[in-house]
Amino acid sequence: MSQPEKKIEDPDHLVLQPRDVRFDWGRTPAHWIPGEVLLAHILNVTHMILPEIERWFIRVFSAALPLISSEKVRADVRGFIGQESVHAESHQGAADHLTRHGIDVTPFTGQMEWVFQERLLRPELKGTRARKWLIWQLSGVAAGEHFTAMLGEYILANRKLDEVGADPVMLDLFRWHGAEEVEHRAVAFDLFTHLDNRYWARVITMVAIIPPLIWLFIRGTLFLYRNDPHLPPGSRPRMRELIRLLREGLLPPVMWLIKGTLKYLRRDFHPSQVGSTSAALEYLATSPAARAANH
Amino acid sequence: MRELFSGPPDLRGRPRQDRMLSSVMAAVVGYENALTAVDRMLRAKVPGEVDLVDEDLRLVIAEVRVEAEDVVSLRLSSPDGEALPRWQPGCHVDVTLPSGKRRQYSLNGDVRDRYGYRIAVRRIDGGLGGSVEMHTLTEGTPIRVSRPRNAFALINLEKYLFLAGGIGITPILPMVRAAERIGADWKLVYTGRSRSSMPFLRELLDINESKVDIRADDEVGMSTGRELLEHSAPGTHVYCCGPIPMIDAVRAEIRETGRNPLHYERFSPAPVLNGKPFEVQLARSGRTIQVGAEQTVLDAVLPEVPAQQYSCKQGFCRTCKVRVLAGEVDHRDGSLTARERETEMTLCVSRAAGDRLVLDI
Repeated sequence: MSQPEKKIEDPDHLVLQPRDVRFDWGRTPAHWIPGEVLLAHILNVTHMILPEIERWFIRVFSAALPLISSEKVRADVRGFIGQESVHAESHQGAADHLTRHGIDVTPFTGQMEWVFQERLLRPELKGTRARKWLIWQLSGVAAGEHFTAMLGEYILANRKLDEVGADPVMLDLFRWHGAEEVEHRAVAFDLFTHLDNRYWARVITMVAIIPPLIWLFIRGTLFLYRNDPHLPPGSRPRMRELIRLLREGLLPPVMWLIKGTLKYLRRDFHPSQVGSTSAALEYLATSPAARAANH
Repeated sequence: MRELFSGPPDLRGRPRQDRMLSSVMAAVVGYENALTAVDRMLRAKVPGEVDLVDEDLRLVIAEVRVEAEDVVSLRLSSPDGEALPRWQPGCHVDVTLPSGKRRQYSLNGDVRDRYGYRIAVRRIDGGLGGSVEMHTLTEGTPIRVSRPRNAFALINLEKYLFLAGGIGITPILPMVRAAERIGADWKLVYTGRSRSSMPFLRELLDINESKVDIRADDEVGMSTGRELLEHSAPGTHVYCCGPIPMIDAVRAEIRETGRNPLHYERFSPAPVLNGKPFEVQLARSGRTIQVGAEQTVLDAVLPEVPAQQYSCKQGFCRTCKVRVLAGEVDHRDGSLTARERETEMTLCVSRAAGDRLVLDI
């Protein structure tokens, strides 16, 4: 009982609330990491895909709200929806920033909108079939949130990006977003298990979403290279560049990603087992964008 | 299946639909078909719409103690002596009073005490009546309490500055205890009208007398934001809880110096200012509701439309925006674009500019 404690227990039972943020893109160049075009474009893909994916999360979660019998899960879902909405708007702001700098991302984001707002929700399904598809989509959100939590943890701890001179506003966007992802990492998982606790369903979905996610990043990166007027014509991302970025610790290590993904497949997995809420809240208390809005 | 191939425009602007994406979406449809077949085979349950389950704890008041002028503490425990759900510094509970009023109180006991929650209440005569009622409760009274939730989480750091004003000491007290237990470098500045009005002085001094700075107004005068923060090293995280003028003074000082990250409890949304009552017609149900001068549209709509979405209640997250079919809007949010404002409004902060709105809900 009276043993000395080494550190404050990681906070739990949080009341989730969206935070207002202000990002001023005025001084952020189009190529916001000096000399690192491939790295910047891989990260830029998130601005093209996340707003629509997050709006899809919101629609799926909104549809699930009346199915929730737990007050705690309902409150968490409401907080989650607000946070995701602010994330979507903030990445949208970064995407618009790219478009203003001549990298017109709207053909790509238009496709994302078509996929996530029109097709994936399958409005043509009716009755119990629609309800089941909703549950499957929830398992997809839970799996997706496992990746955002892992990447959030990664970006909060990564100092290499500062060392290579990445734009501080852009880094703040990624870290603020990553920190809120770590903060709310259990919500989608708890919602899915609250409504449907089939272990194998969560495994199938995790396996199913990995290829499309990788494909989206490749497709997005190639798109950015084709449409970036600041690059010499015919520029292409090179495999040896990618390997260099991984080796220099500028992208998350592949083995670390694989191990982290495998954790999700454990039967007794819960998101609270990975990541540090404390580290996330520490960043959120210092984030310039959060402080700028909190005047 | 035909409509699946009415896909989006091609990514390279070629005059055809994007085949790659269309085939991916066709695969999604196939996937859904397969899952449906499996679900049917395994007779998967389909969750339906449900009512909320009451998760509150049924406790009794085990002990009432006078802690300072007008301040009592209540120890709440399970009637059958069971351990209570665990909590952490910064947690609060919602207490439902016998009259039905619901109030939030920070837990201020010891997190290691698994059998009791301690809360403290300052009596405010002429308030909304919650604190006066709390002061009438006696030992043995049954009381309904929510499970602990945390809106003021203590994070793991090496250094802390705690600032507490009066009854605002309640969430800070368990934080101080936790910081001392890990051997952190901490300091507490505790302000109040007079020592006799400040609860838990003895308990705080017993934790570590040398780290507690008691600043009673009747001894040293009202402390300014600068004075409260004067001994903080740059970068030290500040945890502040107290009357609103105190929090505002600390925020203003930190805004100026930018030296310290600040944590304070986010209270309920700001009250409606300069509101006039008006009428809202809900187009989908045809019903008309009244919005009071001090009420938000959201609060008026929720009893009629429980499924209405909302989140931040401060006008920035856009979750509660709805289409306006008629009427002039007084936009008070910070998030809708000028174009969106032509046809939409946020329910949580915006109001009618005239006396009537028709909304698409």
